[in-house]
Amino acid sequence: MKNEELDQIIEKSFRTEPGFQLPANFAQKVAFAVVRREQWKTDLREYLYLTGVLLSLLAAVLSFYYFVDKAFVLQSIAFLSQNIIPVILVVLLLNFVWFADRVLLRLLFSRWSKT
Amino acid sequence: MNDSELISQILNGNMNAFTFLVNRYQKLVVHITGRLIQRHDELEDVCQEVFLKVYQNLGKYRNECKLSTWIATIAYNTSINYLRKFKKGDEVNPDDSAALRNLTDYRADDFEKADLHRYLRDQIELLPVQYRTVLTLFHLEEFSYQEIEQITGMPEGTIKSYLFRAKALLKEKLKFVVDEDSLKLVKEISNEK
Repeated sequence: MKNEELDQIIEKSFRTEPGFQLPANFAQKVAFAVVRREQWKTDLREYLYLTGVLLSLLAAVLSFYYFVDKAFVLQSIAFLSQNIIPVILVVLLLNFVWFADRVLLRLLFSRWSKT
Repeated sequence: MNDSELISQILNGNMNAFTFLVNRYQKLVVHITGRLIQRHDELEDVCQEVFLKVYQNLGKYRNECKLSTWIATIAYNTSINYLRKFKKGDEVNPDDSAALRNLTDYRADDFEKADLHRYLRDQIELLPVQYRTVLTLFHLEEFSYQEIEQITGMPEGTIKSYLFRAKALLKEKLKFVVDEDSLKLVKEISNEK
């Protein structure tokens, strides 16, 4: 076999498609995977917005109640500051439950459903 | 829709634009990934990983190179990482003598029966991973030497050397199995294609 002929055959084989196949709906699957992977960011944003709104509402109610019954509000604040450690623990626990419900469990379910 | 329009659409959250991008570049990605990892059962997952990285990093793309070059770089790096993770280190280092040994395992009898193009395609798959990479990027995807350098980080001289050596290895193999009689058969098959 002549050298040039060998070269031609080899060059042609280099340009031949290797025949690897992806499913026809590959692009849709990837887009779905992206949406699912990015979902936790949306969930986290939502959690932060909702937490902010709830804290604002709580502050607004306390401020309003301060004008209605100042003594009760001051008493409540004094009680909370006297039991600061249990109060912090309860707040952290409630926050964790709230965070788990809004973000963590959704993320874990999404990961589990992938596998 | 050109690439920059496509990118701005995707960055604005248009998932249809992203699906369009995947459709446009999936062939490029599957060629690079397939040639490197050589595992059909893992191919879809690795390609998906490539496009997830493309989506996550699209905001960092700065038009310094063509989008196809940038995507090919991600596909190359993802595939190399996959190889390092799941295969032995010697997969990543080219070894001509081992490659030639693999190539010459094919006997002339097999060759006469085999379809020429499939035969050569099989031989390409037996080449060291770097050779397969540069062959795919240069001949199949028609990237320039500079672009291949950007994608793989190999110097231009090395790329040229790999291309030359890959061709020489295959030529050696063809010379080994093809005699004058076989050549006629080869030409007939080639013309039928």
